[in-house]
Amino acid sequence: MQIYVCVKHVPDSAANITIVDNTSIDEKVAFLLNPYDEHAVTEAAVLKKQFADTEIIAVCLGRKDAEKTIRSAMAMGADRGILIEASEAPDSMTTARALKAAIDQDGTPGIILTGKESIDAEGMQTMFRIGALFDFPVVTNAVAVKAEHDRALVTYELAGGRTRTCELAMPCVVAAGRGLNTPAYPTFPDVVKARKKSIRVLALSDLVIDTSPGSSRVVALEPLVQVRNPRQINGSPREIAARIATILKEEAKVIT
Amino acid sequence: MKNIGILIEAENGTLKSANLGMITLTRAAGMQLTAFVVGVSVSAASADLETYGIARIVALDLTADQQQNPVVLAKVLVQAVRAFDIDAFVGLSTASGKDLLPRIAAFLDAPLVMDCVAIDFHQGKARTSQFSGKTLATIEVAGDVLIFGIRPNVIDPVPAPVTAEVVSFEGRNLEASGFTVLQTDKVDETARINLAEADVILSGGRGMGNSENFGLLYQCAAKLSAAVGASRVAVDSGWVPYPMQVGQTGEKVSPRVYIACGISGSVQHFAGMKTAGLVIAINTDAQAAIMSNCDYFAVADVLEVIPELTKQLKND
Amino acid sequence: MNVKYDAIIIGAGVIGAPIAYELTKMGYKTLNVDKLPDAGEGSTSGSCAIVRAHYSTADGVAMAYEGFKYWLDWENYLDQVEDEKGLARYMNTGSILIKSDGHDWRKVKQNYDEVGVQYEEWDRETLLEKVPVADLHKFWPVRRPEDPQFFDDPTEFIEGAIFCPEGGYVNDPALSAHNIMRAAEAKGAEFKFNAEVADVRSEGGKVTGITLKDGTQIDAGIVVNVGGPHSCKINQMAEGVWEGCNIKTKALRHEVMYCPSPDDYDYLNDGYHMSDGDIGCYVRPEVGNTFLIGSEDPDCDPQEWVDPDEFYAGKGGHGRDNVLSDEQWQAQCYRLGKRIPTLQVPNQPKGVVDLYDCSDDWIPIYDKSDLPGFYMAIGTSGNQYKNAPVVGRMMAELIDNCEKGLDHDNEPFQFTFKYIGRSTNVGFFSRKREINYNSSFSVNG
Repeated sequence: MQIYVCVKHVPDSAANITIVDNTSIDEKVAFLLNPYDEHAVTEAAVLKKQFADTEIIAVCLGRKDAEKTIRSAMAMGADRGILIEASEAPDSMTTARALKAAIDQDGTPGIILTGKESIDAEGMQTMFRIGALFDFPVVTNAVAVKAEHDRALVTYELAGGRTRTCELAMPCVVAAGRGLNTPAYPTFPDVVKARKKSIRVLALSDLVIDTSPGSSRVVALEPLVQVRNPRQINGSPREIAARIATILKEEAKVIT
Repeated sequence: MKNIGILIEAENGTLKSANLGMITLTRAAGMQLTAFVVGVSVSAASADLETYGIARIVALDLTADQQQNPVVLAKVLVQAVRAFDIDAFVGLSTASGKDLLPRIAAFLDAPLVMDCVAIDFHQGKARTSQFSGKTLATIEVAGDVLIFGIRPNVIDPVPAPVTAEVVSFEGRNLEASGFTVLQTDKVDETARINLAEADVILSGGRGMGNSENFGLLYQCAAKLSAAVGASRVAVDSGWVPYPMQVGQTGEKVSPRVYIACGISGSVQHFAGMKTAGLVIAINTDAQAAIMSNCDYFAVADVLEVIPELTKQLKND
Repeated sequence: MNVKYDAIIIGAGVIGAPIAYELTKMGYKTLNVDKLPDAGEGSTSGSCAIVRAHYSTADGVAMAYEGFKYWLDWENYLDQVEDEKGLARYMNTGSILIKSDGHDWRKVKQNYDEVGVQYEEWDRETLLEKVPVADLHKFWPVRRPEDPQFFDDPTEFIEGAIFCPEGGYVNDPALSAHNIMRAAEAKGAEFKFNAEVADVRSEGGKVTGITLKDGTQIDAGIVVNVGGPHSCKINQMAEGVWEGCNIKTKALRHEVMYCPSPDDYDYLNDGYHMSDGDIGCYVRPEVGNTFLIGSEDPDCDPQEWVDPDEFYAGKGGHGRDNVLSDEQWQAQCYRLGKRIPTLQVPNQPKGVVDLYDCSDDWIPIYDKSDLPGFYMAIGTSGNQYKNAPVVGRMMAELIDNCEKGLDHDNEPFQFTFKYIGRSTNVGFFSRKREINYNSSFSVNG
């Protein structure tokens, strides 16, 4: 079986983000493998043990330095990698087309795994587009996967701790949630082994993909700077609690 | 652009209150609004929908089983979007919305922006957060149909009563081949909201006093669908396990609300939560560093305030 | 009328607090001023708080070993003071010094023998028994992952280690400074926070006091610079002080990594502090069953000298300086990963970035200055946390003797270590010294 894992090279969530040119971030920060994709790679490694004659291929659309993320995926179990090199990040509709084209060019997916969202764009949609292009069923926020050659039992999380279990025809697309597993980070020996694994690099322009009818682009980016002017809440514990409840409801809007 | 479709979300046979804010936000575009309703009887829903300005209600005719299958739901909605000539389609950016709206966008090959806090329908622009809550992006979309997932409760609902026309819609060929739902709504009792993903975090520090008192935070958090975190002191003292630690050497979080309970606010702790949207601090020490570096502070005993807060919160 | 004290101590970190404690016990009326909101919140809070005695000089070993006695008897040192935040704890894990080409361990052994430090020599078998997750190959010389030779297979083994059973670490360095502050306050010392020094005043060739940023003037005939990474700036505020130092100080940026221990190894409870020159790292356990990985600043690692104000403006704010660098995360974690092959290294860096107050030869400056009444306890270069209580006592005695007429520059003060009964020439720490090329020029001291 060929297990394809779609991974993204994203800024560290702990990085200090500053904005340049109004529409993009200063990229002199640490970039790494998208945390949700770590769960996907880990799950791929688990699945590989189940099936004979199986390889894991990490596919990434990004700039040249995204090779680092593919190396991380290989250190965590991917056997080889494909980098679709693009100087600018295209939108989700184009990304999905590019990933499909690269996978089609490479082999035959038995299953496609990825993370439920990237922590930079947070679009939460590319996995569904990949599924639609391949005509594979898709599940996101998966917390359990039991796969066989022709079907997979996937459990995913809804709100409030509720879960739903579905039977999907294989091949399918599964996007990992945090509850799926604990990422199996690489040891130094794993890192050494990964250095010998191969990454095939192709240019986005090399892939034959049709132009999507719609488009999406970032036209402005502003920092959300927290300037704090502390205001005191007075009164008895009950009065303080009442004020907090009001703040949560009316100002923060996290409750109704 | 003339017609906007709104996906109304229901739970346990009733409308979620967040729908009303979504309708209010969408109404501002001044276009024809069509509400698509499933999972609640039209008679139960129509009064509210009319009060907030919906002039056309489309009841989707689906069996209980079909309602549980997001692929079926997406298919019928795609057909409805085409049938009713919808130019823009909105829904709530909830767990269920995240399972449904991208499917619709994928079927239609249409652009989608999730978790919007503002939308300009005429210009095809939406605002949403990116980079783990550190930036606000304005995204411009173009296409035959534009799809938006709206952050719940981002604006307050404002009534604008009208009378609505009610129609029903039945889809065709709604089999979800390759996607069968086996079991839904199994509640995982042990599921605790993940610190890194929570919108609201209740965090305990030295002021909690001991391990048992953290129970007060868990109770309050359950009412808020919040996660519970801790300062280094609480972890060092053995009151809570290390995965709950927020700070430079623990988890870095960026929730919409961070409630610091009995936390003094060392520099190391701030490094873990400084990007929180709103910080509310409760501490008996008026001089604690956090009291001058928050949005709201109360000089009080958390062990008295938190139980009061729990009492005052509705059951979610 | 300005408020007046006998002595103003600039800085309420782990060195500033014990100086106040000891001076107060001698009868001085002291005030510590600190720009931060609480004791130990500056560079002290970033310290790994390692307590070990393996220094390259006998005096260095002696001072550290003397320090052990304080950490091992913490409540008594504090004279049973109560601290509302609780007491810092000394985690007496014992200290392993790997016999490597990175340390002159034979010299350390000699020094141990001379000073009378308790130790054991472990062969490879014993070392492996004590640290079962370790790979005892020799990985020297220390390299960076950018260097392809970093990944070469090792062929030799290290000899073993020297084990010092009394060593370990303190679990909360900021809290330890806070404890000493409470102990000092119990004796009459005062502390003022959110108080940044803007000027050091002098008149007639003697120090007269300080001025805070908000304009407040406080008078004293003794001012002590314990400003940590800001020490260079404070020395420049006082007339003639900076120019009178042959050894200067500046702030060095430093990263310490936190990496989870392998699942099957309870490092927190079963592990040791380990100084591993063979890989250029030192490690000690941290809550969460974590390895705290410090660097021994091998030559191949770039050194980043920074302006402390700019650096700390990033701390808790939007600068880049308080964020770990990916390159150093990989360097330190993969170096440890050679020694511990089952160590799983997360992709996301986690740890602490802070500053060392470094002197030109990485040896502290514990001295008076060219301005009578102005003293300094600076240039701790990342290796003096363990000596803090001893330094407090030594500085207090130095100051007291100088104030009573001792010409320390020409007749250096001899300080007696009260526990190990040995004395040391405080002139060794003189601001006037030539660069001491016997120094290891690293955090090893």
